[in-house]
Amino acid sequence: MARRILIVEDDVHISKIIKMNLNIAGYETEEAHDGLTGLDAVRQGKLDLVLLDAMIPGLDGFALMEKIRPLGIPVIFLTAKNAVTDKVNGLKLGADDYMVKPFEAIELLARIETVLRRYGKEENVLAFQDVQVSLDKREATLSGSPVDLTPKEFDLLVVLLKNKNIALSREQFLDKVWGADYYGETRTVDMHIKSLRKKLNWQEHIKTIYKIGYRLED
Amino acid sequence: MKFWQKICLFSILAFVIVFNAASIMVIERNHSKLLQQVIDNTLSEHMNILSSVDAVVPVLRIYDSLDYEKTVLSNIASTFVARSGDATNYLEITNAAQGVVYSNLDFAMPDVRPELTGLTTDETKYILRDLGHRTLLFTTNKKIVNDKDYVFTYIKDVTSLYAERVDQYQFFVKVDIGACLLYVLAMYFISRGLTKPIDHMVGTARIIAKGGFSERVALKSKDELGVLASNFNEMAAVVEGKINELELNNSEKQRFINNIAHELKTPLTSIIGYSNYLRLTKYDEATFLDGLQVIYSEAKRLEALSTKLMDLILLRRDEFRLAPGRLSAVLEEMEPALAMRAKEKRIQVLISAEGGELPMDEDLIKILVFNLADNAIKASPEGGRIEIRAYRDGGSVVLEVSDDGIGIAPEHLERIFEPFYMADKSRTSSREGAGLGLSICKSIAEIHHAAMEAVSTESAGTTIRVIFGEPHESRWGVEA
Repeated sequence: MARRILIVEDDVHISKIIKMNLNIAGYETEEAHDGLTGLDAVRQGKLDLVLLDAMIPGLDGFALMEKIRPLGIPVIFLTAKNAVTDKVNGLKLGADDYMVKPFEAIELLARIETVLRRYGKEENVLAFQDVQVSLDKREATLSGSPVDLTPKEFDLLVVLLKNKNIALSREQFLDKVWGADYYGETRTVDMHIKSLRKKLNWQEHIKTIYKIGYRLED
Repeated sequence: MKFWQKICLFSILAFVIVFNAASIMVIERNHSKLLQQVIDNTLSEHMNILSSVDAVVPVLRIYDSLDYEKTVLSNIASTFVARSGDATNYLEITNAAQGVVYSNLDFAMPDVRPELTGLTTDETKYILRDLGHRTLLFTTNKKIVNDKDYVFTYIKDVTSLYAERVDQYQFFVKVDIGACLLYVLAMYFISRGLTKPIDHMVGTARIIAKGGFSERVALKSKDELGVLASNFNEMAAVVEGKINELELNNSEKQRFINNIAHELKTPLTSIIGYSNYLRLTKYDEATFLDGLQVIYSEAKRLEALSTKLMDLILLRRDEFRLAPGRLSAVLEEMEPALAMRAKEKRIQVLISAEGGELPMDEDLIKILVFNLADNAIKASPEGGRIEIRAYRDGGSVVLEVSDDGIGIAPEHLERIFEPFYMADKSRTSSREGAGLGLSICKSIAEIHHAAMEAVSTESAGTTIRVIFGEPHESRWGVEA
């Protein structure tokens, strides 16, 4: 079942772009442009996570946070302020994480995933077309039959599935699969992509994006 | 040492010295007076003896015998000593030939008697001597009786006089200790009482130093300490005022910076979000156009914000030369630009201007008028009209911009001059602005020592007045 995220953000453009990114990543979304509608949405809907802007009309983010906390719904704060006190305030009130505007969609998705994993709301099975991946068993199947993948190939496949329809750069792949302190060449990524394409028969699905990197496409 | 301790200590020292000195002087004077009296009495008794002797001298002359003289003189002496009936009187009569003629001394006459040297006939000398436990007054006189030199020494015991003095001193010491203790006690309370306001002020100063700027000294007396306390309070009030002003300034600045951050980051978040989305994902045509539209409009918003910020930075320079100018000339010059701006919404701009010269910076006045007109246009409905007037009102010149647009709710009216304040943030029509227009206008008005006034009725229109020549704070009000 798709996970449901509430976006409480007064700026309609920002709210919309967040929604678009979340939808691409396979989340269901709800939007609220002020604190009071946000509170209503929190009370009614079955939510897995709330993205909460600190400066919203009606009921400000911190006040809304206090109402959300008893419900046990994870919250990520969005704030334009870089002030430490603001972050501390947000976290002290029970927010699980915060993002300072402007932020990149990839990073927001990663934080959302981390928070959901902490709450045990992570999806254990990822599927794309005829490929199924079980994160628990670290197994991938193509049309029901297991595919033999190296550990790095498996990790790379997971990153691709989690960011499907979003292009990632070779550096981002390196960072997410091999870790931030890996000083390998970006060619390593190319080789693993090539191998995945071959093993999963994904020549068309893993697109090479000019000047950027790769993208998993439907 | 504390001030009250100093007061206490020094006054006690002064008291002890003066009191003791005075008391000692009194005792000593008393004693010396008594002593003088005793000496006078003794001398006159001595004279009595001599006159008794004088009375018998003719008889002695007749007999002219040493033994007889001795007998007579001894008789006189013993009579005299007996008559006085006082055992503390002694008499010794000596002459050169026989030595002691008469003596009732119960002690040995001292060997050294300086009073005898240089003693001339008929001269009387006296001396005080301490013999054993006693103090004795010796009066000595050389007299020629029947052509022979006699020395009469009359001695009086004055020990009691000295004992009396010692007794007085003993009493005095008791009185002294009592008085001093009483004085110490009194001075303790007096000096504590006197320095209490000082302690109070010290405590207050300490609290103020620690940041309790609203602390005051509660002291109502009219003496120097009262004056000091009231001056101190005045000073504390001034300091508190300044601190509050600084804090307010500071928090205003902080809020301004926070707002700038917010206003910059909001469009940036949209621009980065959309451009990244278009860059990284497979989008459809509608999303593409939508995204470009958002990127464009948010970039325009940033541009507008940066222009306003530049205006504000310009205004904070604090070095404007105001030259005489006419509002009517400025408005006339601006008319085409304003009409152009209003054309989009088919809004009619009515300008009427009179009034004399004003010290002004024309560029700033243009920014002011443009901002006010811009707000009026934004608030006005399609096909509405705005009115810009300049007129005299008593001693001042008023610039007035009014519209018949949506108006401002009373709860927002008092805050509209604050930077970044927008009456309705979620309304998309206000997205074009950053909420800096009126704050810029206010700064310009302040540079011209003009007051600003906003009068508004919801859904009936707003009138903003800039009143030149009246250096007042901004005012606001709601028209009934």
